[in-house]
Amino acid sequence: MAVLLIQMKLAVLRHSMTGRRAAQMITGALTGSALAGGLIVVAGRDHPLASLPFDLLGVGFALWTAGWLLGPALFGGGDETLRPEHFSLLSFTPRRLAAGLAGAAFVGVAPLVTLVAFSALVVVAAKAGLGAAATAVGVLAAVLQLVMCVLASRLVTAVLGQVMRSKAGAALAALVSAVILAGLHSSWVLSPLAQAALRTGFPDPFSTWIAALPSGWGLVAVRAAGHGQWPTVAAALTGLAALGVVCWYGWAALLKRRLTTRRASGRPARVASGAWAKGPMTAVAARELRTWSRDLLRFHYLVFALCYALAFCLLPLAIDAPIFLPWTGAVFALWVAAISANLYGEDGTELWGKMMIPDAARHDVRGRQLAWLLVTAPPTLVLTAAMVVFTGEFDLWPWLAALVPALLGGGAGVTVLVSVLRPVPLADPHRRGGNLLENGTDFAQVLLVLILTAATAAPAYFAVRLGPVWAGPVTGLVGGAAMAWLLGRLAATRLESSAPELLLHLRTGVSPKRRRPAPALDRGRPHLPKPDLGLEKLGLDLAPTGRRAYVIASLTLCWVPLVAQGIVPALMLTTGQITRSWFLALHLPQHLQWPTVIAMIALGLVLLTTGLGIGLYYLAKSRRDGIEPDGGP
Amino acid sequence: MGPSSTDTALRLAALTKTFGRKPVVDHIDLEVPRGSFYGLVGPNGAGKTTSLSMAVGLLRPDGGRAEIFGLDVWADPARAKELIGVLPDGLSMPERLTGRELLRFTGLLRGMDLKEVERRAGELLTVLELDRAERTLVMEYSTGMRKKIGLAAALLHAPRLLVLDEPLEAVDPVSAATIKAILQRFVRGGGSVVFSSHVMAVVEQLCDHVAVIASGRVVASGPLRAVRAGRSLEERFVSLVGGRIPEVGELAWLSS
Ligand SMILES: Nc1ncnc2c1ncn2[C@@H]1O[C@H](COP(=O)(O)OP(=O)(O)OP(=O)(O)O)[C@@H](O)[C@H]1O
Ligand SMILES: [Mg+2]
Repeated sequence: MAVLLIQMKLAVLRHSMTGRRAAQMITGALTGSALAGGLIVVAGRDHPLASLPFDLLGVGFALWTAGWLLGPALFGGGDETLRPEHFSLLSFTPRRLAAGLAGAAFVGVAPLVTLVAFSALVVVAAKAGLGAAATAVGVLAAVLQLVMCVLASRLVTAVLGQVMRSKAGAALAALVSAVILAGLHSSWVLSPLAQAALRTGFPDPFSTWIAALPSGWGLVAVRAAGHGQWPTVAAALTGLAALGVVCWYGWAALLKRRLTTRRASGRPARVASGAWAKGPMTAVAARELRTWSRDLLRFHYLVFALCYALAFCLLPLAIDAPIFLPWTGAVFALWVAAISANLYGEDGTELWGKMMIPDAARHDVRGRQLAWLLVTAPPTLVLTAAMVVFTGEFDLWPWLAALVPALLGGGAGVTVLVSVLRPVPLADPHRRGGNLLENGTDFAQVLLVLILTAATAAPAYFAVRLGPVWAGPVTGLVGGAAMAWLLGRLAATRLESSAPELLLHLRTGVSPKRRRPAPALDRGRPHLPKPDLGLEKLGLDLAPTGRRAYVIASLTLCWVPLVAQGIVPALMLTTGQITRSWFLALHLPQHLQWPTVIAMIALGLVLLTTGLGIGLYYLAKSRRDGIEPDGGP
Repeated sequence: MGPSSTDTALRLAALTKTFGRKPVVDHIDLEVPRGSFYGLVGPNGAGKTTSLSMAVGLLRPDGGRAEIFGLDVWADPARAKELIGVLPDGLSMPERLTGRELLRFTGLLRGMDLKEVERRAGELLTVLELDRAERTLVMEYSTGMRKKIGLAAALLHAPRLLVLDEPLEAVDPVSAATIKAILQRFVRGGGSVVFSSHVMAVVEQLCDHVAVIASGRVVASGPLRAVRAGRSLEERFVSLVGGRIPEVGELAWLSS
């Protein structure tokens, strides 16, 4: 049974070793190996204190185990290569199925890397000269710890999977993962403490706690074996084994529940009148607002963004650093953008309905932007205002008044554009299980949107930094509105031109190949001389000559005003280290310097965005026509 | 030129689609006369869904043309799409809306007047007996209910041509009778219907035209009587697609 399931899993893994999956797997394996190698190095190095390697390994193992337990909840998915549902109609008892799946759970890259990491137990025993017996105990403890880790991970993921079927559970899970992530991101707070610990050893209560956690029991066993305290060795190892068995039993019970109970039928929907939706765009916005409140995934994300913003900005208070507090609203807006940039992927093949409605793409994009703002802006503004009042940092107002609108506008633009350009296909909503964990979060997506959205606030940032006091807020407002408008327009154009490809991508989960027409189809038509390959690749071969020249010129030249005549002299002016060289602004009288710099940056941005806009338009057009047989007029 | 200038509701000309190396739809030609009730039959995987998707603008063909009332679906999508109502197979709907909300928002997105949308939606929901599930999200609808709400959404803007992929699959007999009556009324009122089905009896009962598709090609098409050639549609279908009844002795282990 287990052997059969292991063979199945290997087969599935083999078939999914293509493209992005394989890249992800390899990146994961390399990162994991590097971390495991780090633990082994820690175990094998000389330390100023005899207890230090054990404490460090204890911390390392605790974090590693925490990764196994919470990783699936944080990063989505868990290992669902073999789904229990597939076997539910076969005549296995749940316990046998659990046994088989547990066996298969140990196959894969992650368990292997973990075993390498835990083999630090053997290294530390040998290095500390605890004797052959202790080394042997180390081997046994490494294996038991791996078993405990994998099974406990299954159990915790299953428990969370059950809990996350309700709104309360989704909120709770969001709170936990937000606090953990925010905690990791503010761990610099701990760095002075950690540096002291590395020199003088960990405080005793800390070491005791680390050893008391199940992840530390292997270390306890190894140390005890070195000192000949065999009852302790036996207790620690038995404890690990027993914990593994308990986790397995619990998992089997939950598996049975998962296979035999269906998602409770939904409560009756709360129907709002939605009377304000009277036109196409407001109708889309009203529909989106319903999705925000009725979709567990979106709700979970929203709570996550809120909890993260609060945790991240409040945690530094632990060392009396309230510096982030006024920015809570901005952090919230950034995270809402980051987690809502897969609008089309989440809706799945529902896209077809909009494709059948003339002109729906534009209304759909604008409606989604409106809904995003309605969801994001009020909490952002309230958080910002409340925190400013709370901290009394009223001097920050030009910064906040510039960056908050810029981020809101940028978020409204970036989310729809990324949703269209880089969808992450998910199962259709009605086919998804009730379990949020099955819908993995695409972290590349989240990171991309965080960076892009933050980047949209750059003009506002520079305006506050470099301009007069009114420039920041004005740039923030105007820039935010412009970003929302421009990026939304790009998204709509793109959606209109490539909706069939997007639908195919969402339906099959595979990005359609961007093929040019097969040569066979061209037969009989005169072969026109083609523009050179580069232009064709960029889709510019379809653009009229004037526009083609403009795109090329603007994209090549925009960097001169933007960077060379804008940002660089701006930096010089702020730092005071001025080299006149060829910087136009620096040769002008003082009162004209800043306006010139700003004008240059603006010119550069205009060239960049218009060039990109036109270029992308023709790129989309060429993709569309390229696959069409009768592309030419 | 308006749509009235042609007598063909839907015309497919050399429509082609290849997935990987396999031609799934292989130069299909099809002509659906205005006012006809057109059945599309074929074995599983014949390419019916793929052809219909290309015909209505959901899947980009590798070659060929699709015209709706003379308008090229891929060159002039906006005008062509105003004239059709579509019910695809196996695609999702706005899942987190109730049936009424779905119809309301779809109508509004089409630019229809709110009052008119609400009137039509109410009528459709009542006729299709979906008004009893006022507060159920589409996500929680049964398979048959999904078909019905999909049909309602396709009918909402009073299209001239309905393209339906397996509209009667998983629908209970009473609802099926309702849907058939709706479709027949639609055709009597001057509309045209193209639908795919696996149930020959339904096709024989409803359709005046039929096309048989196998392996991505049209193997027979035209008025029902002509395609049947004096036999039952089922017999004719099996002989056309070269189906095969298992011989005695095969699968012997099945008998206990
Ligand atoms: N996106 C795709 N990628 C690869 N192959 C596909 C894709 N979509 C459809 N096919 C293949 O095209 C063929 C025709 O599929 P299609 O869904 O059109 O058949 P059908 O006639 O509707 O069948 P059914 O009666 O079962 O609904 C099948 O062999 C299917 O495997
Ligand atoms: Mg089909």
